[in-house]
Amino acid sequence: MRHLADFPRWYDDVTESTGPARFARRSLLKAAVLGRPDEPEYPPLGTGVDAAWAATRALVYTVTGRILDVSPHILVLGTAWGEQRFPLDPATQAWRGGPAAPAALRRGDHAIARRRYPGGPVVDRIWAEAGRVTGTIAEREGPAALLVDEGPVKGRKLVVISAEAAGRIQVRFPRLEPGYLIDVIGVKHDGYLQALIPATSQPPYPADHPPVPPLVSGHVPDPVNGAAVWHEPGEEPEDLLGLAYPALDPETSCEHAGFAPPGCSGDPHATGPGCVRLPYLSVGSLLWLRNDCAERTRQLPVTSCGATARLFCDRCVTCGTSRKGRIADLTMAAFVELGGNLEAGCFNATMTIGG
Amino acid sequence: MLAAARELQIPLLAVLLLGGCAVKAWRVLRSRSIKPALDPAGLFPLRLHRPIMMAMCATEFGLGLGLIATAGRTGTNVPATIVRTACVLFFLIAMGALNETRQRRPAAGCGCFGDFSDTPIGWRTIARAGVLCAAAAVTIGLPPLRMPSSSTTAEMWLAVLAFELSLIAFFSPELGEILVRLGYSEPCELRRLPVERTMAALHASSPWRRYARQISGAAPIDVWREGCWRFVVYAGVARGRRVDIVFAVYLQSRRPVIRAAVLDAATDEVLGLAETREFTAIR
Repeated sequence: MRHLADFPRWYDDVTESTGPARFARRSLLKAAVLGRPDEPEYPPLGTGVDAAWAATRALVYTVTGRILDVSPHILVLGTAWGEQRFPLDPATQAWRGGPAAPAALRRGDHAIARRRYPGGPVVDRIWAEAGRVTGTIAEREGPAALLVDEGPVKGRKLVVISAEAAGRIQVRFPRLEPGYLIDVIGVKHDGYLQALIPATSQPPYPADHPPVPPLVSGHVPDPVNGAAVWHEPGEEPEDLLGLAYPALDPETSCEHAGFAPPGCSGDPHATGPGCVRLPYLSVGSLLWLRNDCAERTRQLPVTSCGATARLFCDRCVTCGTSRKGRIADLTMAAFVELGGNLEAGCFNATMTIGG
Repeated sequence: MLAAARELQIPLLAVLLLGGCAVKAWRVLRSRSIKPALDPAGLFPLRLHRPIMMAMCATEFGLGLGLIATAGRTGTNVPATIVRTACVLFFLIAMGALNETRQRRPAAGCGCFGDFSDTPIGWRTIARAGVLCAAAAVTIGLPPLRMPSSSTTAEMWLAVLAFELSLIAFFSPELGEILVRLGYSEPCELRRLPVERTMAALHASSPWRRYARQISGAAPIDVWREGCWRFVVYAGVARGRRVDIVFAVYLQSRRPVIRAAVLDAATDEVLGLAETREFTAIR
């Protein structure tokens, strides 16, 4: 996924370097001018951007890396900080396309693991080569291969539906035809995703025609409830703690990041606000997200555009039934950090816009 | 009385058909895409949506014009009968299609009057098509239309018109939608406001005049929005130090609240604050 640093039109005049440092500084500048911090424990002005940004970036439960070695008792991961060893216990669960014993994971697999306790050594969940494709079916190539458009920013991905999963997926996605939506979880391979689990039920409407949300009386309620989902890192850092927000300011963000190619029926920017009305924010905005199922809350920065989430008016049923619509598309690391299970695809969430 | 009611149906149907076509066309022109107007074609395969929608719009336009063209003395009996029978068929097919759509896609609106017809199809929408079908049926065999011969006839026309409009309004879920929209004002956090307007408001404000001399670059170094506020940051120099001058502009059309702050670019120390006027509600 590309970070939204391109400002065409008159934004070509915006000077200075673009990138994470600029986005990270926004919450500090906002607090300075409005005189109210985004959070009670917000670092006081003057301590620098890095401290504030680092506070939102720190992974307490989650660790990502490539498997260097694995046995029933220990997992060795090659992470950004070098080789790290994590003890496993008999209760540790692993996933590689389905439940598996930790020792069945393969060397070289990309893995994301969750610690049992914050900062603790023992890992209790491991996902290997987990991938997800969410978007509009652009082409169907034979009975089992689909080209899926994930929006102008993320591009197209190839999805191969394996024979053993075909029935399970087609029950939830009866229309595997161009123009309709798909959201599947599976195992990443070189150049394609092997789809194994339907992440939701297929919306009955074509991707370019989602329902219109009801008009909002007064202000948008804060906090707002709905479903939180996850996306693959793409071009983002694997350990990025953040979320793709479905309602970035159309004047400065998503809509100018790129345009759908001709014939693309699922440009999420052209389909209206989706079924949840959310306040317009920008990359760098901070908000609080609570996993209502795990009862875990974190402050997260908006790190990218999640316009594709607008197309889905589904509900999450991980614990009870959430309100309709997707309110956040988390990075993999953030989803796991908040206690979500990747194979479930979503959790019921409460989002509080900071400030 | 009955003759007046029959005569009235022709202009009424023509206005409704042309109005329906115009609202759909306006919706397409406004969004620069035919996709938003594809509701009524939802029953058909995706590839047929566009041609069916265009055919429906053309049919409405053609029938509306045809009713007007064959209403007066210039219209002979055969063309008038053909157009009016086609109207009956049109509304009859509409009834069936609406009923089918209601069963297969209960959440879909009929799209009959563009944006205003997003309410899920109910018995009122189907009954309205039935009323219009009956209205078209009673026009078959009607002699050429004439202006009312007396004030009594004109009053009768008006009474029938008022009754029928009330009936159609009762069967139209769009009316509620129109009334809601007439009184609706989108909250500021959902309102799209061009950056150019924000910049124009900023450049006309007293905080801008106060800090303009300290600003060193012509273009902002960052612009972003959060809820009801848009933030604009300029690089500047104050007392020999490199500073960032941040303006927060409240997103309202008239006299927006504007605040400003000056931060040391190196240490982020806040050096000064300013605002145009007090405000109570911020989001």
